[in-house]
Amino acid sequence: MTDMVKLMAGHGYVLTFSLLFAEAIGLPFPAAIALVAAGAAVASHVLWGPSILLVAVTALLMGDTVQFWLGRYMGWLLLGFLCRVSINPETCILRSAESFYKRGKITLVIAKFIPGVNTMAAPLAGSMKMRFSQFLRLDFAGATLYATTYLTVGYLARDFLAAILRGFHAAGETMEAVVVAALVAYSVYRVVQYRKNKMYRVVPRVQVEELARRLASEDSSRVLIVDVRSHGYYDSGSSRIKNSIRIEPNNLEEEIKNLSKDKDIYLYCT
Amino acid sequence: MLREKGFNTFVIVGGLTAWRKAGEPLESVPQNDLVKLPTFS
Repeated sequence: MTDMVKLMAGHGYVLTFSLLFAEAIGLPFPAAIALVAAGAAVASHVLWGPSILLVAVTALLMGDTVQFWLGRYMGWLLLGFLCRVSINPETCILRSAESFYKRGKITLVIAKFIPGVNTMAAPLAGSMKMRFSQFLRLDFAGATLYATTYLTVGYLARDFLAAILRGFHAAGETMEAVVVAALVAYSVYRVVQYRKNKMYRVVPRVQVEELARRLASEDSSRVLIVDVRSHGYYDSGSSRIKNSIRIEPNNLEEEIKNLSKDKDIYLYCT
Repeated sequence: MLREKGFNTFVIVGGLTAWRKAGEPLESVPQNDLVKLPTFS
């Protein structure tokens, strides 16, 4: 606990601001833990409560504002990127959008407490053309509620946190073993993913020029160009390769029933 | 998966971006294919 208090005394405001801003722009940083630690530091008279609350809310509002305008100008591209970790990106976008439209105001206020929704709320508000002034009001309420809650938890649970940290020190070797095991497991996972993805590289690749020549030849009737972008069809005015068709890659089992094996299929995405 | 099911499949190197850069023909996405999402405005 002493180490943490020293750290907070030296860099508490900057650390809290940085971690909260990072989380608000979608990076996987433990903002809630930072707030709890800051709350404990307030209880230890290392930080001043109103100042740290102001710093926290400012960081969250700034990060969310960046996300809001990215959502406004990048449209569904940003949401597609944020939904990439989802099993079904298209469903992720559609469900998020529908849910947000129905409960948009409340969602913005409570979003920070819900992992996943937290990252999506601000860009969704931007993409769905919410007025910026309205977004700021709701987001301010949400950021204040979130920061106050976790600061209070840290403030009230200072002694409990100290006991936990003492426990961590006592179990130092065990913790190291757990961390090493987690790193090994992660490395194995990455290797498995790499080998799995390597399988896709056996699919023959063609250059644009080669395909264009084939399309200009008499053989063009045997060509089928297929757009497999999973989330490129939300912005009006978007374009695709002429005479291509779209299939939804997350619904391939159904989609291939409509494809002919007499044609060579050329796949493309963005 | 398409290849597993017997489809002769290729991947266009560089995708839509390369196609556009090469000056090959594009078309607008048909209105029917666009997914309509709600907006607040």
